[in-house]
Amino acid sequence: MSSSVSSPDKPRTVTGKVFALSDRAIAWLFISPTILLLLAINIFPLVWTIYLSFTNYRANQPGRAIRWVGTRNYERLLGNEDIWGYLQATAHFVLWTMLLQVVIGFGLALLINRNFKGASFWTTVILIPMMLSPAVVGVFWTYIYQPQTGIFSYIVNFFADVGPLDMIGSVDLAPWSIIIVDTWMWTPYIMLLCLAGLRSIPDYLYEAAEIDRANAWQKFFYITLPRVMPFLMLAVLFRGIENFKMFDMVVELTSGGPGSTTEVASINLKREAFEKWRTGYSSAFAIILFVTVFGLSNIYVKALNKVKQ
Amino acid sequence: MSRVVLNNVTRNFGAIEAVKDLSMTINDGEFVVLLGPTGAGKTTTLRLIAGLEKPDRGTVEIAGTDVTAMAPTRRDVAFVFQQYSLYPHYTVFDNMAFPLRAPGRNLTPEQIKKRVHEIAELLRIESKLENRATQLSGGEMQRVSIGRALVRQPEIFLMDEPLSSLDAKLREDLRVELKRIQRELNATILYVTHDQLEAMTMADRIGVLSSGKLVQLDEPRKVYETPSNIYAAMRLGSPQINILDASSLKDTDLPANTHSVGVRPEDIVLGSANGTLAKVLTVEHLGVETVILMESEGRNIRAMLGGDAPLAEGDETSFAIREGSAICFDRQGEIIS
Repeated sequence: MSSSVSSPDKPRTVTGKVFALSDRAIAWLFISPTILLLLAINIFPLVWTIYLSFTNYRANQPGRAIRWVGTRNYERLLGNEDIWGYLQATAHFVLWTMLLQVVIGFGLALLINRNFKGASFWTTVILIPMMLSPAVVGVFWTYIYQPQTGIFSYIVNFFADVGPLDMIGSVDLAPWSIIIVDTWMWTPYIMLLCLAGLRSIPDYLYEAAEIDRANAWQKFFYITLPRVMPFLMLAVLFRGIENFKMFDMVVELTSGGPGSTTEVASINLKREAFEKWRTGYSSAFAIILFVTVFGLSNIYVKALNKVKQ
Repeated sequence: MSRVVLNNVTRNFGAIEAVKDLSMTINDGEFVVLLGPTGAGKTTTLRLIAGLEKPDRGTVEIAGTDVTAMAPTRRDVAFVFQQYSLYPHYTVFDNMAFPLRAPGRNLTPEQIKKRVHEIAELLRIESKLENRATQLSGGEMQRVSIGRALVRQPEIFLMDEPLSSLDAKLREDLRVELKRIQRELNATILYVTHDQLEAMTMADRIGVLSSGKLVQLDEPRKVYETPSNIYAAMRLGSPQINILDASSLKDTDLPANTHSVGVRPEDIVLGSANGTLAKVLTVEHLGVETVILMESEGRNIRAMLGGDAPLAEGDETSFAIREGSAICFDRQGEIIS
């Protein structure tokens, strides 16, 4: 140390060398491991996938010559009606889960925020589904959905006499079966973030409104909603992206069936990539999905920033 | 007539008595300032009048009606909070129009627009009406808060240290402004502060509060010249009043039961021939005046002189009390009249 201080232009020890570096160099020293890691596990695979999407590469035949096919994979994909069907199933799933979870989650947050006796106990109870593994949730809901022995069918029949209800096996009901499970599992997450928003609203805003003779609706629209909105939108962003690529829970529940009614994009992608081994084709599909999510969430974040102002 | 009357109002928070048996009347068109340190019960008094707190005992009357049991919405009061309580996602115009749009008010959009513009002009924020509340500076936000109270014509305006979070220059401007507006509108205002300067300059009457009790309620000059006790004397005036033991004074024509004497710094005369000796500790030049802190027989004494006082730290001097300026207090600290 002392030697490096006494002769700063000729540092000999390691510490001395580090001290002699410029701020910029030290900054690079700190971030370079992260950058290398990102390059290796994110950027390179992305670039490689883009390359593969223009070829006829098959991962189960590594010896075969890779042939450049231009935009043929993309043309096939976008011209394929089945693909549009999978995307539609995905959009249906994302939109309905988000809508239900926002409405129920916000409602629950408003209730919990009333700070009644046992509020924290109920918060914990409500949060339990969120902490389970999606695959496990998928498996045990198949039991709940059992037409003859499942409790879901029993409860529905308790209120309306419709006979054994085959949620998973029916073409009409299967999309709803996954929406219900996802809503059951992830509404607490939306609730939690809404609650954080609600807790951040100072009391004096409501007191001011009360003195200004505002009614409950005005208080909600002038104070509560604008204050919770950024939290709510952030929660929807996270959940929306997650649900766009939903895989494990749906595989356990319906595996895309019956037929392909619940075959969301990610399930089809896995089939094409690792069952049919059409690596080039499925790479193109992955890129299309990536661009879609990336584009949508960018637009969404723009809107979010506007709300935050 | 918007007279506000508090009758023996008491409010406890657990073991803490925030307001103790408080009775006072605020007359129509009067500017009353409640003065006291933190925890004196100033804000609680305001909240009791607004209906945000319910008294444990006693009644609140506004314009001749007993409102003790009424919710804030049903009392016709306006409240300016210490923190600017604006609706952050709305424009200044919407914020100010908010109370006018309340159900039951039945104003047309033209009427609302006219009223908001009038008040915005008064507060000099007309150019900001289309801005969002979050794009304003602190001073502007507080003016919008005050504007939101002023657009209504309530029985009484309740203001809870509205200027405390502003910088000195702005505070001075708004202080003058607020007094002008109050006169123009002939508004009844109950104003809470711990700043004696605000109290002295704005109030028609000052109410001095001490741990929930009203110590004195009188015109600023009266409170300054004849404070009802030592506590009230210490609340007004800067630098603070000197409280001296009567026994240590050479002055003999004091009332017999005088225990201590209050002397305002401007009533201390320096360099008198038969005065008490003192050593100068600090000299603060404030432009037109000079504040001097001295030590004499183990006590600190503050004196206020002209801007050109020829004294320096460490100087030896002597002081005396200007004749007839001493305020005499008895053993309990109450004034002897």
